Amino acid sequence: MALLEVEGMTHYFGGLRAVHNYNLQIQRGEIRGLIGPNGAGKTTIFNLITGIYRPTRGRIVFEGEDIVGLPPHRIAARGIARTFQNMLLWRHMTVLEHVKVAHYARIDYGLVGAFLGTPRRRRQEAEFEERSYELLRMMGVERFANKVITELPYGAQRRVEIARALATEPKLLLLDEPAAGMTPEEMIEMVDTIRRIHSMLGMAIFLIEHRMRVVMDLCETIQTLNFGEVIAEGTPDEIRNDPVVIEAYLGKEVVT
Amino acid sequence: MTYLLQHVVNALQWGSFYALIALGYSMVYSVLMLFNFAHGDIFMVGAYIGLFVSTGLLLLGTAGAVTLPNWLVLVLTIILGMALTAVVGMLVERVGYRPLRKAPRASAALTGLMIGITFQTLNLALLGAKRRSFPALIETATYQVAGVSITNTKIMIVVISLLLMLALDQFVRRTKWGMAMRAMAVDIFVVPLMGVPINTMAALTFALGSALAAVAGIFFGQAYPVLEPYMGALLGWKAFVAAILGGRGSVLGAALAGFMLGFIEIFVAVVFPSTLRDLIAYSAILLILTFRPYGLFGEPYSARLRL
Amino acid sequence: MTTATQKQPPASDRHRNSTIRAVLSPWREVPFLGWLLGALAAVMLEHSVGSSLALTLGLRRIPVLFGFELMLKAPQHIPGMLVYLVLVYMLPAALVAVATRGLTNALAARLLQSPALSLAVHLVLLYGCMHFWCALSDYRYLVAQLALIAVMLTLSLNVINGYMGEFSCSHPGFMALGAYAASVLTVLLFVEDDVFGPPLLPPTLGPFLFPLALVAGGLVASLGALAVAIPSFRARGDYLGVITLAFTFVVKSLFENLEIVGGPRGFMNQPNWAGLPTVFVWAVVCVAVINNFVRSTFGKALNAVRDGETAAEAMTINTRRTKTVAFLSAAFWAGVAGGLFAHVVGYINPATFGAQKLAEVLAMVYFGGLNSVIGSIAGGLGLTLFSEMLRPLEVWKWVIIPMLLVLVMTRRPTGLIAFREFDALKLLGPRGRWEGGVQDGTAGG
Repeated sequence: MALLEVEGMTHYFGGLRAVHNYNLQIQRGEIRGLIGPNGAGKTTIFNLITGIYRPTRGRIVFEGEDIVGLPPHRIAARGIARTFQNMLLWRHMTVLEHVKVAHYARIDYGLVGAFLGTPRRRRQEAEFEERSYELLRMMGVERFANKVITELPYGAQRRVEIARALATEPKLLLLDEPAAGMTPEEMIEMVDTIRRIHSMLGMAIFLIEHRMRVVMDLCETIQTLNFGEVIAEGTPDEIRNDPVVIEAYLGKEVVT
Repeated sequence: MTYLLQHVVNALQWGSFYALIALGYSMVYSVLMLFNFAHGDIFMVGAYIGLFVSTGLLLLGTAGAVTLPNWLVLVLTIILGMALTAVVGMLVERVGYRPLRKAPRASAALTGLMIGITFQTLNLALLGAKRRSFPALIETATYQVAGVSITNTKIMIVVISLLLMLALDQFVRRTKWGMAMRAMAVDIFVVPLMGVPINTMAALTFALGSALAAVAGIFFGQAYPVLEPYMGALLGWKAFVAAILGGRGSVLGAALAGFMLGFIEIFVAVVFPSTLRDLIAYSAILLILTFRPYGLFGEPYSARLRL
Repeated sequence: MTTATQKQPPASDRHRNSTIRAVLSPWREVPFLGWLLGALAAVMLEHSVGSSLALTLGLRRIPVLFGFELMLKAPQHIPGMLVYLVLVYMLPAALVAVATRGLTNALAARLLQSPALSLAVHLVLLYGCMHFWCALSDYRYLVAQLALIAVMLTLSLNVINGYMGEFSCSHPGFMALGAYAASVLTVLLFVEDDVFGPPLLPPTLGPFLFPLALVAGGLVASLGALAVAIPSFRARGDYLGVITLAFTFVVKSLFENLEIVGGPRGFMNQPNWAGLPTVFVWAVVCVAVINNFVRSTFGKALNAVRDGETAAEAMTINTRRTKTVAFLSAAFWAGVAGGLFAHVVGYINPATFGAQKLAEVLAMVYFGGLNSVIGSIAGGLGLTLFSEMLRPLEVWKWVIIPMLLVLVMTRRPTGLIAFREFDALKLLGPRGRWEGGVQDGTAGG
């Protein structure tokens, strides 16, 4: 059984059709890419899967259960984590707090613990903190742990955002343009990092990316989207040579 | 029936005050995305300025310098009152809001609140707790229309208020400044690109709103000739609520909601004991906003997308 | 948590700085315990020789609130007043604090091995200071009670306005609910009253069951808070602000129309059970509980909701639950504070809980500092004391205080001590060269 299965998902914004009859199957541990021109509906698909929007039609099945209509935090707690294209970081919080608070779903000390500071809470908070440091180390941003997020350079902020998503212990990680705005060197590092966390934690990854290098390097299969519809699906090589894709997307840009 | 109509007339007058004040809140909100919590007290200041101007002008007559006819005193009071109160409004913007343009919005709201309190107590400290009566500038004439008694004051208040609202509407639609104001309501960053400095716009908005509040204050003085330092806080909060009910920065909405609030209050007082007026009015507001969180005429944009 | 790091001074300044440091270093080495001891010594000194010293200096009586009220009324007493302040407060406090620093540092380090004991000792000393200070004047006693209640109100409002970043105006409403509920309970159960009749329970039980009445008041306020917590799921920002404002006015006019609790005339006969010790204990519990809460991951979720609700949801945070907990717990403490207030003053009326109260509490929160427990303590205590000190100015007091606040807000829009984490145990540790001696080595340079 596939980890995530999307069937016939369609979404309208008012009268505007953003996504049409979208289908997707992601297996456990797989890395898959989603490409397409601006406004093709890529981020909308992420928002639909994570419950920020509710699809007009269609089914989204995660680990055998329909998750359409669940609030986003429930979907996230089931194991779908994400990052955002424009990095929705919490601007008054420190790096460590970012990662720690993403453990929210696993708090089991309850309100009593939160208000009274029971031993159980102390134990669990220490555990969250330890794990947060571990994730920050994995992403190479441990040295910023006690800095407020806005003091960090851009690339480091991207990494913190991924660490935050990892803290929710995802089985599926959605990355929305993880290398956006990065220099070529930073981009290569980011690709390495993504590969590393994938091999260490083994979750499935579904990523949107504009930089062809990133997608072609990382992904086993790629979907190409145009005007809210999948126009091609296949291995990087197949996509690279698909005339439909070249016309819709690559044809307009310099292929690197 | 006539009994009901009588209350409609009263509600129209009462609603005019709310509407005029609510417009000030709404305009500042649409331009700066801030509520000017000092606005209710600017209304109070406007009323007092009107009081001093008119008494001064009348004193000229008794002192034998120049005797002005009462209607001219009223016109001059309104014009001078509008101008002076506009200056007060611009001052409030300069002192309390401009330094906070980049600060959290709640801080700016609090600053406004504090400036309002300063106005109240300054008034109390300088003029004492005594209530002041506004000189009657219009010989009251009462007309009987279909059994409903209408005074000329009421007609004047409602008509001039409506005319001012219409003028404001035209100003916002037709002039360059008005269009810049509307553009700012959509996107505060686009306006400097159009060559309109934000500071000028902010000052203009405060001036306009304050001028309207001054008119409301002077009319209030004509209808209920007793002024006291806390009158602004009482009416101001409700007008503010009307501005919110009207919807995000909607000028028309604010005016309509102002009249609506006037009707609610007057008719609640007809049916229920008047002590329940606030309870019912505010409960209605609480309910309306619970089910229509973005006001009656505001755009229902999704909270989730507001990032 | 973001303390300024000390920079190494340039070589030329080093000599001058070292003299300054030599003078300052004894002060820097005084732990909190030492300052408490110093303060205790000062107030006890005042207790024994204060009135005679005041007479010798030509003052009619001891300066009640650090001399402000007398200075404003009778400027000719200013020199005498300053001598009094130096002789009674500053010198003894400073001397004792510095002289005992070796002892207090050792003691502080030893106490820290058992955090609970350390907290208890410090709190007892703190209470001792307040007790002796207040023993000299009923007015001081009342001011201290009101200041502690103000701290509870400020801190609980900070949970919503600072930590969760909503502009809530509902605090006077919560306070009113708590005040009326607790008052009705105590008057109904323990007091002979014209309206409520003879007491239902023996009045001797009253002081013991009083905490339950306060908790009941808090719970009633929490229940009322549902009326704003539920709309907060959909409405945010300004609209929520108006909803909360309407809530306050609804509660106020509700009590104005409830004849059984006196309507607009107010409600009195509350028994005098909220003495300073009671208020002190409640305030300490309130600070401890709220501080605990905002430092937990649960509490940090409030910050996440404030700084980005979409991201918070995507990171598994149940935002509705978070908002509900924030509103209900803040309302609970506001309700308890209201109950205490009613029993301190012995009289409440609906007008107490209107726009004026709202402006006061908001001012304390934003003056002290958003998102900061220390800020709220400072804001609540500071503004209450300050406004009492300015009392002789009468009406002008309320011209000066708002203008001062405007000044503060335009300079520091998030308040004086904003975004600071409050770690009591760090505060209570030893200082200076004794600092390294802490067993777990948490203290850094």
